[in-house]
Amino acid sequence: MIVSSDDIIIKTIARIFVPFIQLYALYVIMHGHYSPGGGFQGGVILGASMALLLITHGYDEVKRRLPEGVVMLLGSVGVLIYAGIGLTCLLLGGNYLDYSQLSVILHVDPAHARSLGILGVELGVGFTVMAVMYSIFFDISTGGILPEDQKQEEKLESEG
Amino acid sequence: MNEFFIAAGLALCLLVFLVLYRVIFGPGVFNRIAASSAIGTKTLIILLILGYVYNRVDMFIDISMVYALLNFIGCIAAAKYLEMER
Amino acid sequence: MEVTIFIHAADDAFRILEKAKARAVGLLDTATNLTSETRWMREKKIQAILKGAQETKSGFQNFVATFVMLMVFWALLSGKFDTFHLSLGVICSLIVAYLSHDLLFANVRVGDGRLIAQRFLRYIPWLMREIVTANFHVAYLALSPKMPIDPQIITFRTKLESDISWVTLANSITLTPGTITIDIEDREFMIHALDRKVADDLDTGEMEDRVAHIFMEADHIYIQDVLDVSRIFAELKRGM
Repeated sequence: MIVSSDDIIIKTIARIFVPFIQLYALYVIMHGHYSPGGGFQGGVILGASMALLLITHGYDEVKRRLPEGVVMLLGSVGVLIYAGIGLTCLLLGGNYLDYSQLSVILHVDPAHARSLGILGVELGVGFTVMAVMYSIFFDISTGGILPEDQKQEEKLESEG
Repeated sequence: MNEFFIAAGLALCLLVFLVLYRVIFGPGVFNRIAASSAIGTKTLIILLILGYVYNRVDMFIDISMVYALLNFIGCIAAAKYLEMER
Repeated sequence: MEVTIFIHAADDAFRILEKAKARAVGLLDTATNLTSETRWMREKKIQAILKGAQETKSGFQNFVATFVMLMVFWALLSGKFDTFHLSLGVICSLIVAYLSHDLLFANVRVGDGRLIAQRFLRYIPWLMREIVTANFHVAYLALSPKMPIDPQIITFRTKLESDISWVTLANSITLTPGTITIDIEDREFMIHALDRKVADDLDTGEMEDRVAHIFMEADHIYIQDVLDVSRIFAELKRGM
């Protein structure tokens, strides 16, 4: 169980750095087709920023910001975006993830449509990777036992 | 100028081996953490020098920033793990 | 004859000195009272301002400040200024600012942000010079064959008040070669120094004063100093 750190240096530095790390992760995701990086790398950095917050500020703070349900939702929505774009291309008569077919819906020329399609797919990949990375880190660090579960178990034991 | 940067990069590579000695034989786990973090810092500079040599500094800056970030978070995570063990 | 004159003169001198001392103590007493009174009022005022500032700043202003900083960071990273990328930046900055506007400005202090930034920029060259000189000293220690090091741990109580100034001081100490901040516990800095000279350099407290100057805690510290001196004089008075 991770509790909040009592070291003031680490806490303050993490507090100041986390927004910039998150913005950097989004930059890596959005500029995946110009510079190194892309969905996976950006997702890992996003997950790392949440892990940093979890290490320094403890479980309660992170749960307030990013509840378990939202993480799972983000992971599923990411997969949905990826598969949805791919299937849309398939339905429009191209191959799976053949972005140039999207120009029919988006009313732009095929090259631009390809760029936008890649951006959407990378966004989906980023969300999923972030959610999965974060939940893996979370499960390993807590051992799969949440404080709520412990409380409930104690309650059941005291009743039974 | 390029030769100078390549020479500096090679010198840093040699220094990485010196620090690697501490990682492998260093007494105690704290020496190892500090040494691996120092290796991360040197790798970052080597990456930037590579970027200069290949004339793609803009790309290599992105990579080295990620490297620095993960080095920092990894170092803190290791320290936190040891704190919890105690 | 001459001896009696001398004794008289000494007696007179002693009496004058005594009177002057008593008068100085009286003056200092009133000064102490005044400063403690003003200090109390000042603290009340600062607390009121802080409270009000936190209430008004906690919401929208924080959000806007975070958004502007993140947008500048995005422009630095991206380097592309066409509409598409700038709008992407605006959306991303809005999301991140919404998620973490209470992180960046958690313990807000009253003060002119622009002035703090200006003073911080002027602090950096001084720190650089300090780092270079300490670097030469540590290189001398490491390269001389006898290795005249004398590792020691020193502790001191800081006058600084906010967490951001503690962190600035601690990181400045760590950046200077030869000294490392081990821990901050309850305003007590615990520092590992490589030898006597480095530790003495730190003990002069110049770095602390400069950090206090950056974060506008200098006025406060001045009052604190007056109070410290007055305590010493109170001891003197009791001894008389």
